[in-house]
Amino acid sequence: MSETELVHKLQEAEGLAIVGKRIQRLDALGKVLGLPLYTSDIAPKDALRLKVVRSTVPHALIKRIDTAPAKRIPGVSAVLTAEDIPGINEAYSLLPDRPLLASTKVRCQGEAIAVVAASDYQTAQDGADNVLVEYERLPAILSPVEALKPDSIRVHDSGNVAKYLKVRKGDVKEGFRQADLVIENTYETQFQDTAALEPEVGMAWLEKDGSVTCVGSMQTPFYVQAGVAKVMGLSPDKVRVIQATTGGAFGPKSDEMPIDTCALSALVAQKTGKSAILAYTRDESMIAHTKRHPFVITLKTGAKHDGRLTASEALLVSDTGAYASLGPLVIIRACFHATGPYAIPHVKTDAYCMYTNNTMAGSFRGFGSPQVHFAAECQMDELAKKLDMDPLDLRLKNILRPGTLTATSQLVDEACGLEECAKRAAEASNWRAKRQEFGRDRGSFRRGIGVALMYHGNSLGPEGSDYAAVHVLIKPDARVVVRTALTEYGTGATSGLAQIVAETLGLPISLFELGGADTVSCQETGPTVASRVIVIGGRAAQLAATKLKEKILTVGGELLRCDRSKLMIRDGLVGHSDDPRQSITYETVVEECYKKHVSLIETGFYSAPKCEFDPENSQGTTYQQYTYGAVVAEVEVDTELGVVKPLKITAAYDVGKAINPLSLEGQIEGGTIQALGYGLMEQLVHVDGVVANPTLGDYYIPTSLDIPEIQTIIIEYPGAVGPFGAKAMGEPPVDLPAAALANAVAHATESRVFSIPLTAEKVLFAMRQRQR
Amino acid sequence: MAKHLVKFNVNGKDHALVVESAERLLDVLRDRLDLKGVKEGCGTGDCGACTVIMDGQLVNSCLLLAVQARDKRIITIEGIGTREKLHPVQKAIMKHNAAQCGFCIPAMVLAGKNLLDHNSAPSRDDIKEAISGVLCRCTGYYKLIDAVQEAAREIREDKG
Repeated sequence: MSETELVHKLQEAEGLAIVGKRIQRLDALGKVLGLPLYTSDIAPKDALRLKVVRSTVPHALIKRIDTAPAKRIPGVSAVLTAEDIPGINEAYSLLPDRPLLASTKVRCQGEAIAVVAASDYQTAQDGADNVLVEYERLPAILSPVEALKPDSIRVHDSGNVAKYLKVRKGDVKEGFRQADLVIENTYETQFQDTAALEPEVGMAWLEKDGSVTCVGSMQTPFYVQAGVAKVMGLSPDKVRVIQATTGGAFGPKSDEMPIDTCALSALVAQKTGKSAILAYTRDESMIAHTKRHPFVITLKTGAKHDGRLTASEALLVSDTGAYASLGPLVIIRACFHATGPYAIPHVKTDAYCMYTNNTMAGSFRGFGSPQVHFAAECQMDELAKKLDMDPLDLRLKNILRPGTLTATSQLVDEACGLEECAKRAAEASNWRAKRQEFGRDRGSFRRGIGVALMYHGNSLGPEGSDYAAVHVLIKPDARVVVRTALTEYGTGATSGLAQIVAETLGLPISLFELGGADTVSCQETGPTVASRVIVIGGRAAQLAATKLKEKILTVGGELLRCDRSKLMIRDGLVGHSDDPRQSITYETVVEECYKKHVSLIETGFYSAPKCEFDPENSQGTTYQQYTYGAVVAEVEVDTELGVVKPLKITAAYDVGKAINPLSLEGQIEGGTIQALGYGLMEQLVHVDGVVANPTLGDYYIPTSLDIPEIQTIIIEYPGAVGPFGAKAMGEPPVDLPAAALANAVAHATESRVFSIPLTAEKVLFAMRQRQR
Repeated sequence: MAKHLVKFNVNGKDHALVVESAERLLDVLRDRLDLKGVKEGCGTGDCGACTVIMDGQLVNSCLLLAVQARDKRIITIEGIGTREKLHPVQKAIMKHNAAQCGFCIPAMVLAGKNLLDHNSAPSRDDIKEAISGVLCRCTGYYKLIDAVQEAAREIREDKG
């Protein structure tokens, strides 16, 4: 057993005092008081305000950029283009495709071409409006399926396929031969905007030694550091990046936009010697930042008369827009999860991430999983209908259980609570009775109930190197600071890290505070994505805390003159486990440590086991552990207008271990409603490559009046990797609601809408198609 | 641009400012009075992050000109509660972990407080209606509604 496994097991065996409790997060007070915390709140009054000149067309050669009229405007202090970049004009994350400032060609709307600095935003905007860009329009390719054709217009010289991969398990031809029934359908999903309440913002200034400091709204400071250093032609150690409080992120703030905001600010700071801030407007954010990839998914599924699945063939085509961002990783997760959580003997999946001239798609909570679960779970209901089976029964016949194999032939271990999720959600929602009762609705308002099941490979798996560093410092006043470059942007996961440290050290949570994420004071720690903070960061936090505990116990043993192995820390006391009278306060021991020059700062570094699989056919261990879940949705459809009203969502998740059930419920509830928007109302519409609705008035996200009743059910089958068995739970809540809602609407209307969002027009159209 | 002398009361304090015709109330509050708890999330009146209470009504300060606030009484998050004595809505939001990213929270606190000022026993539907002008992308609103409901209970018990 490795050291980390040992720590893990020891923790498991002990009763838990803090982990698993509904504890108030540590950053709440400043937030409810509205203290100045976010980047725009802390910008110096005299910082230059920046505006960006962006492409207005989806595909064109840039013939000329004339900055002279802008420079003549009083108050404009700088107008910078690609020529002014001292380093390398690149701001991509994976494939070398995107310049920070376009100079010869634009490949989508919203590409940055120049940045204008002035003492106020209005003057900067006047300047931006007066930068003249002359285009020679090129024909644009706007459909990812069209982009696959060999004679398609090319977005990049390298071709339109940003990434292709496949899964091959068994012999899919044989699987379809064995089938009594084969169905094939095509499903489509849309661009979804993250709509974090705080749009992207970054700020920079020069230090006296020529180095640059950046502050911004972001998920991953070290990515920003590398990006800014490259653009500025500086070594990374000459760029310090500090995360300000971040007003929601959901993915795009881990991709390229925080590089853009900070690097453009740094360029201006270097040219002018003044600090500079770039805050995106809402429409600018919605056009320029990455969104959820639209997918076109064709599924062919074979089953026996009794419902046993024999084969699945899938073709996935995603639209990553003009630049890849993290699209090539999103397609991996989509490809591996495309069958849904079922044991199917023969699987063939082909997955393409395509360039088009639409705006850029990239990271968004769920990362390819909501799209494929929408398709897979609608397909299960279509199959159930053809087989005349209850959709839940069909699923239960085929779900992943311990001992079965996933689509990538990974053996499902004991940590699989999928069956319990499905059964508990069905029971709590009264599935069987309502399925009957709602089916008898007549008249214009008809109710429906739908179910969907999911599995979600945890952390990065095949998508990157998976490690984390967490620092824990005990100060002379005995308070404990937990610091890491894993950032907090709303989930409360960093408070979860403090809970894990508190549990390990045997200290009350009231002693804890969070340090901010900063490239100077934190070790590089990988990206804050994929629900990694608890699962991977939590292990690092445990390791750091364990090292500190050793020191406290050693010094405590010296003070108490007893064997250190007999000592424990509990409720802030260091004492003898057999004799509670022999104890001293934890504060006394800390004081003694400082007197004796025992260092009380430790770093925990955890590196997840590598996922090993055959890259050719994608067979093997693709993720170290899985989160499982079931969602039941109930709706009422106005069959005259097509309007869908959600009535209730029942969501059951196997979370491994709930570190903080209160925060976890917040993740489930928030994710459910973000996904309800995805299923029912949200679509960033592109017309000829131009975003038609980049405002929160035209792009409608759920308000408090749009939410249904919700019931969350937490089920715990401890996973192999996460601390105390915890599984990823930031992302998974967005995987299922769209599918469950679509199935509920299909139940209510006896008609299938094969795409989301389920708008009134589409629902009505589907009903009319059926009646014909 | 024409300049105007505007007097108004913010968080109990009188101010007299010379403002330009086109100056937004949001910018005056944030930049000139340094009330950074007032947030800008869209600038088009859609998200409600810039909500303040003006003469007992919730308003989007991004859609109001400073001159429209003449002679009004304005309350921002800075006028609600202190570290030592939080408003019951603030306390309940903390207790329910209903502040996630926190960007909408100043507006949510004001929306909750304004409701409770007018209705001490709101139903869940009343609360949903009262906060519906403020968008939140993190919580799905449930814990915020729970918090306002709990704050209402606390206020009633204190009075009772």
